[in-house]
Amino acid sequence: MTLKNGSKATLACFLAVITALIFLECCGGSSSTSSIITPATSNTASVTVGFGALGPSGGYVNGIWTTVTVCEPNSTTSCQTIDNVLVDTGSAGLRILNSALTTVPASSLGAVTDSNGDQLQECVQYGDTSYTWGPILLANVELAGETASSVPIQVIGGNSAAAPSQCLSMPVSPNLPNGGNDDTVATLGANGILGVGAFGYPYDCGSYCTDTSNLTQPGFLYYVCPTGQACSATTSSTQATNPVAAFSSSDNNGVLVTLPSIPATGAADATVTGSLIFGIGTQSNNALVSTVTVYALDEYGNIPSFTYSGVSYSSPTNYSVLDTGSEALEFLDASTLSPVGIVECADAPGYYCPSNTIAFTVTATGATSTSGTIAFSIMNADTLFATSNAAFNDLGGDSGTGPANDFFDFGLPFFFGRTVYVGMTPGAFSGETAPPSAASSATYGYYAF
Amino acid sequence: MKNILGVVLIMTLGTVPAWAVLGQYESSVSVDQQTLRSEDHVQAFQGYKVHQLTTPNGTMIREYVSPQGLVFGVAWQAPFMPDMKQLLGSYVTNLQTASRTQTQTRHLRGIIVRTNDFVFVSSGQMRHWRGNAYVPSLVPSNVSVEVVR
Repeated sequence: MTLKNGSKATLACFLAVITALIFLECCGGSSSTSSIITPATSNTASVTVGFGALGPSGGYVNGIWTTVTVCEPNSTTSCQTIDNVLVDTGSAGLRILNSALTTVPASSLGAVTDSNGDQLQECVQYGDTSYTWGPILLANVELAGETASSVPIQVIGGNSAAAPSQCLSMPVSPNLPNGGNDDTVATLGANGILGVGAFGYPYDCGSYCTDTSNLTQPGFLYYVCPTGQACSATTSSTQATNPVAAFSSSDNNGVLVTLPSIPATGAADATVTGSLIFGIGTQSNNALVSTVTVYALDEYGNIPSFTYSGVSYSSPTNYSVLDTGSEALEFLDASTLSPVGIVECADAPGYYCPSNTIAFTVTATGATSTSGTIAFSIMNADTLFATSNAAFNDLGGDSGTGPANDFFDFGLPFFFGRTVYVGMTPGAFSGETAPPSAASSATYGYYAF
Repeated sequence: MKNILGVVLIMTLGTVPAWAVLGQYESSVSVDQQTLRSEDHVQAFQGYKVHQLTTPNGTMIREYVSPQGLVFGVAWQAPFMPDMKQLLGSYVTNLQTASRTQTQTRHLRGIIVRTNDFVFVSSGQMRHWRGNAYVPSLVPSNVSVEVVR
């Protein structure tokens, strides 16, 4: 598919050159030549930070939202623009609520069926025990000036069968609304999720979901639900796919997330805007500049090691990720950090409420032994929440309960005041643009900042 | 790792996946190990021992056994979330009944449950889930809960 689109682009370019030559020959050349310079693909989507679709009551804090255009497969006209889609560097693939697809309903998207004609379904249970359940359908996905043609997306909800019990390998927490089913705006907190993670791969399950020996695995992702029968697991090479990997342009090897600096007490809802830039080293606005450090990921998609206060925390047990889909700087735990003054908030366990703002420095080490320091601060979360602001660069919380299960999930607070490059695995899919040379040895993808 | 007293390596092939059970006797590990297509690597440490079950798809489960023979903790790293009903046994009810103040959830990311006698942390991303659970009252007095990893 990518090759075909590439051929089309090459042909279009060739025709443009021929046209230009003819034009130049017949008219002697003039300033009019500027009219035939093909502009570079617009590769920048706007992002906004705030509560998102649910507003201050029940919404995200530090949600990062963009607008996605979903079209019928291979159509540029039967399209619907969908806002409040979470930009998530912690997952792969676009997932849209069925209820958000109105003028382009799910029924107008491309079916993905097995040899029996049964529609492919996906069930993803997340770490918080909530889940998304719904069909994998083909759509054209447009972001800024970029197009991913006929890319598999998950449509959340809208199927009559309940999520298979095989998928829900963790009991859903009774504290989650709607039984943990993220099929409404109220439960998902968004109209959709745009998974653009480095993650090492553009597909959400990869070879794990093409291997028949995994079909009996609890937590398996792909199913078919034949009429009158229970849903059953099925292998599938068609999987929810990072749309960036499927772009017809060369801007398909990663993204940049750029957000401005904000005050320590935060910024009001929807007042912080930034950019989601597609491609790395493919246009003048996404060069991998020499001032950033490339942190190659390990086979788990993690930065291999973070060191704090002389203690090294290593993947996979004590992993480290940069994750726009997380609301806080979730690192270590209040007990481990008590010597420096971290305590949990009395009314919001899990968030940090130091009496004074505390400065931290951690050292990150990538898979190719590059390293650098990350400086950040943690402010009292109660104080932050009392501002009614929606964007915070110093909101922190527990990752676990102790060294045995602690990790570093650096959520959106990390991203303010900088540009973070999220680079996909080199050569993970056909037609992928090679990474800049500084990242060429990042076997499983990389972050750079 | 200083206190390794012995290592036993066993391989068994089976068909039906199943896991040992938190709070039950060590024999539940061997039952699981026989029914799981897994390799069971046993390490003895001062005050406890660990069964590490690994499968070809990259699932790794560690079960921590007290001198009294009880599984006091489990930890996992897996491409698919393990079946917590099998792994936690009766302690799964702690997940199903923990109150809001005992539970911290992060949108789509993770969950921490802390009750009087049960600690559970689960997190990760698609293709890489990890976590642990332990029963403080079953942890041997001379062993840190932090070994359960």
